[in-house]
Amino acid sequence: MRRFAAGTRVRSVLRVAVPLVLIFLLGGCLMPPTPETTQARDVFNLYILVLALGAVVFVAVEGMIVYSIFRYRRRDDRLPRQIHGNTVVEIIWTAIPTVIVLVLFTFSTLTLARTEAKAQNPLTIEVDGFQWQWTFRYLDANYTVTGTPTNPPVMGLPVNQPIRLILKSNDVIHSFYVPHFLVKRDVIPFPPGQPLNQLEFTVTDEGTYAGQCAEFCGDLHARMTFTVQAMSNAKYQQWLADAKAGKSPPPAASVAPGAAEAKLVAKGIAFDQQKLEVPANQAFSLTLDNQDTVQHNVSISKGQQVLFRGELVAGGKSMKYQVPALPPGDYVFQCDVHPIPAMTGAITAK
Amino acid sequence: MATTTLSPRAESYRRSWVLDWLTTVDHKKIGVLYILNSFLFFFAAGILALVLRSELAVPGLQFLDERTYNEAFTMHGTIMIFLFVVPVLAGFANYIVPLQIGAPDMAFPRINALSFWLLPLGGLLIFSGYLFGGAAAEGWTSYNPLSNKTYAPGVGTDLWIIGLSLVGTASILGAVNFIATIFKMRAPGMTLFRMPIFVWTVLVTATLILLATPVLTAGLIMLFIDRNYGGSFFEPAAGGNPILWQHIFWFFGHPEVYIVILPAMGVVSEILPVFSRKPLFGYKAFVFATIGIGLLSFSVWAHHMFTTGVVFLPFFTFMTALIAVPTGVKMFNWLATMWRGALVFTTPMLFAIGFISMFLIGGISGVVLASAPIDFHLQDTYFVVAHLHYVFFGGSVFGVFAATYFWFPKMTGRRLNERLGKIHFWLHFIGFNLAFFPMHSLGILGMPRRIADYSPNAGWTIYNLISTFGAFVIAISIVPFLINVVATLINGERVGDDPWEANTLEWATTSPPPPYNFDRLPPVRSERPVFDLRHRHVDEPGHAIVAETEAQP
Repeated sequence: MRRFAAGTRVRSVLRVAVPLVLIFLLGGCLMPPTPETTQARDVFNLYILVLALGAVVFVAVEGMIVYSIFRYRRRDDRLPRQIHGNTVVEIIWTAIPTVIVLVLFTFSTLTLARTEAKAQNPLTIEVDGFQWQWTFRYLDANYTVTGTPTNPPVMGLPVNQPIRLILKSNDVIHSFYVPHFLVKRDVIPFPPGQPLNQLEFTVTDEGTYAGQCAEFCGDLHARMTFTVQAMSNAKYQQWLADAKAGKSPPPAASVAPGAAEAKLVAKGIAFDQQKLEVPANQAFSLTLDNQDTVQHNVSISKGQQVLFRGELVAGGKSMKYQVPALPPGDYVFQCDVHPIPAMTGAITAK
Repeated sequence: MATTTLSPRAESYRRSWVLDWLTTVDHKKIGVLYILNSFLFFFAAGILALVLRSELAVPGLQFLDERTYNEAFTMHGTIMIFLFVVPVLAGFANYIVPLQIGAPDMAFPRINALSFWLLPLGGLLIFSGYLFGGAAAEGWTSYNPLSNKTYAPGVGTDLWIIGLSLVGTASILGAVNFIATIFKMRAPGMTLFRMPIFVWTVLVTATLILLATPVLTAGLIMLFIDRNYGGSFFEPAAGGNPILWQHIFWFFGHPEVYIVILPAMGVVSEILPVFSRKPLFGYKAFVFATIGIGLLSFSVWAHHMFTTGVVFLPFFTFMTALIAVPTGVKMFNWLATMWRGALVFTTPMLFAIGFISMFLIGGISGVVLASAPIDFHLQDTYFVVAHLHYVFFGGSVFGVFAATYFWFPKMTGRRLNERLGKIHFWLHFIGFNLAFFPMHSLGILGMPRRIADYSPNAGWTIYNLISTFGAFVIAISIVPFLINVVATLINGERVGDDPWEANTLEWATTSPPPPYNFDRLPPVRSERPVFDLRHRHVDEPGHAIVAETEAQP
């Protein structure tokens, strides 16, 4: 045995060190993003507690499994003692998970009470999820922004100011999710009369945080992204003013009376036509008749360059766009909300 | 020419083996049909998983468009759950339960055949959406309003509903059959508390199916009416409520998780004692824990709905976390069974130990998700995907492979090659952890599930790449398994009736068992009648069993 003493010492060090290093590494890839709201900090602390409890259970149980594998390997053909059970031991190991569960439940409930508390005078923004993007309506500031899958919206927010989001959907279920806030809440088309879901938080740090829809909502679910930009109150006021100013209506094209007219009907998330022909070098009108319940628009582009982007038309509405003159050539039109093959087509100017 | 003969051969008529298998009502043949059918669907859904993982390996859409991706994950989930894990375990139960309780067949052999044949039909209907303009693409949960006619106009969703209703009906019929068989057809001496644990888990599972699956079927019919006959159960504009679908679906869906895991726990509880040469520690506690899990499973459904904002969070947090208690009891029972045993690491034992060590991770992540504030962050992210795969794959599928290696000699008389089996296990174990452990990280970082694409700036690429690599390692691990099965069937080692020195009645008959299973039954005086037979007067430590090679009576 003596000969192996050094080896045994190395092995016993390894026996402690290897699991510790492993736990450290694994723990490292199980850390959430830095929490950026007061509520998220509470959740973060709770998560660390639960992760620690989980790690203890994991190490204890896997340790016993691995120990048994090495220690109780069959060495001869003798029958081990036939133990059928032990009431005391069984009561103890029923009690252990019960205690863990009670601890977890208590801390979860306490955290929940804090994160779900309602603020006094929150800045209220209506968040409208639709297939497949978001509209943010700043109710106090009369500012609205709607994203498209290619041009997702930005939600500017002041830090240290309670925010209340009112979550609204007119089509399917979505979910508003910002990983750095460690929270999401479903955006549900409730039947009339049922109160809408709300989500409250107070951002603590300035920064830009990615967000996206977390509830599967159809074809372009993956492209329902948005950005939250948190800034000081002064910067926020400036941002809001700029955003409002930038939202001036597009210059109206002058369309001569009797000019060419084109029409598209949107129904079942598809256009009725995939080919349009318009006269070249001449402004024309394009009517979008939206017979769906969701919103659509039409934009016209050549390659990467967008030549015309029509306003969004709500479900059941129709709008006549004034499109500026196009040089002769082939262009692509699409609905920016649903850039899928059924809502894409070719438009020729000649 | 009026010759008469008394030879039995003259009375048996000849028919082709194809017709024989197509019309069989023998529980063993039906069991084998279940298992083969389930593995075919497993391979189909597994290929879909590889397609999904290939698409997600790096940012950008390389192989699929969004629609195809959504169809693929919907089919993957639906097929894996409803046409692989549930029926493959039902197949083993079909084969093994009558043998373990010493019965000649199931109580209703023809219903047994019907409940099998509904499965391939239902499965093909679900897949056939691909032939009619696209398969269902709303996820296996098919949330309303996404699944109503406005947002899912394709006939694929209707085929999904019809196919699933048939598969559900098959399960219900099977459940009735199991319950009747277990209550009415046990061998003399086999009291409820002398039943093998696998039979207990099948009994509780069948009860869960009987209570939960009709709820799903009702929901599917409501959805079908909404879609095709102007119903408005889930239609908010007409006063219906889409959340109702979630309640219905998860009232079925959560017991479904235990429907899938309990029989696998039963398999493991058969295998660990055999290869530890000890009885299952705490048999009765284990039975009560199984029943307890079954009961609790009906009070936790809304933990899938924490983020909807319309469920009472503390209640469902508490009940969900409470399930950790009976599950913890089982975990300790397994550990204590191995403790001071004489362990031998055959392939079924490796898969059984793989089950307990991987299921543990799924259990812990389940407790993490039970906490409502944490769930607000993790719900609908890859953390949930990781969790459910550690339960379904690390749990149930490891159990399925353990059962395959364990009972293959009973079904065929030949043992699967151990060397290939061990290669299969290690590739499977490593591939599984590479594929699914990184998904925990992805979820914690905030990657939502069911997205076809993600931003290269999100910091998710490395984990996705590892996960995709792991998925292919799992796929490769299936190759030695298939070679093993084919080679063993052709030229495998013949190992006799009881190659593992096992405990329960199925090992007291020949391998494979004859029609109607037993000529004579050994006496049943404990939950290990075959063990008792082998060790008639042995209950003291250190007793050599070499001498105890007495044959069956």
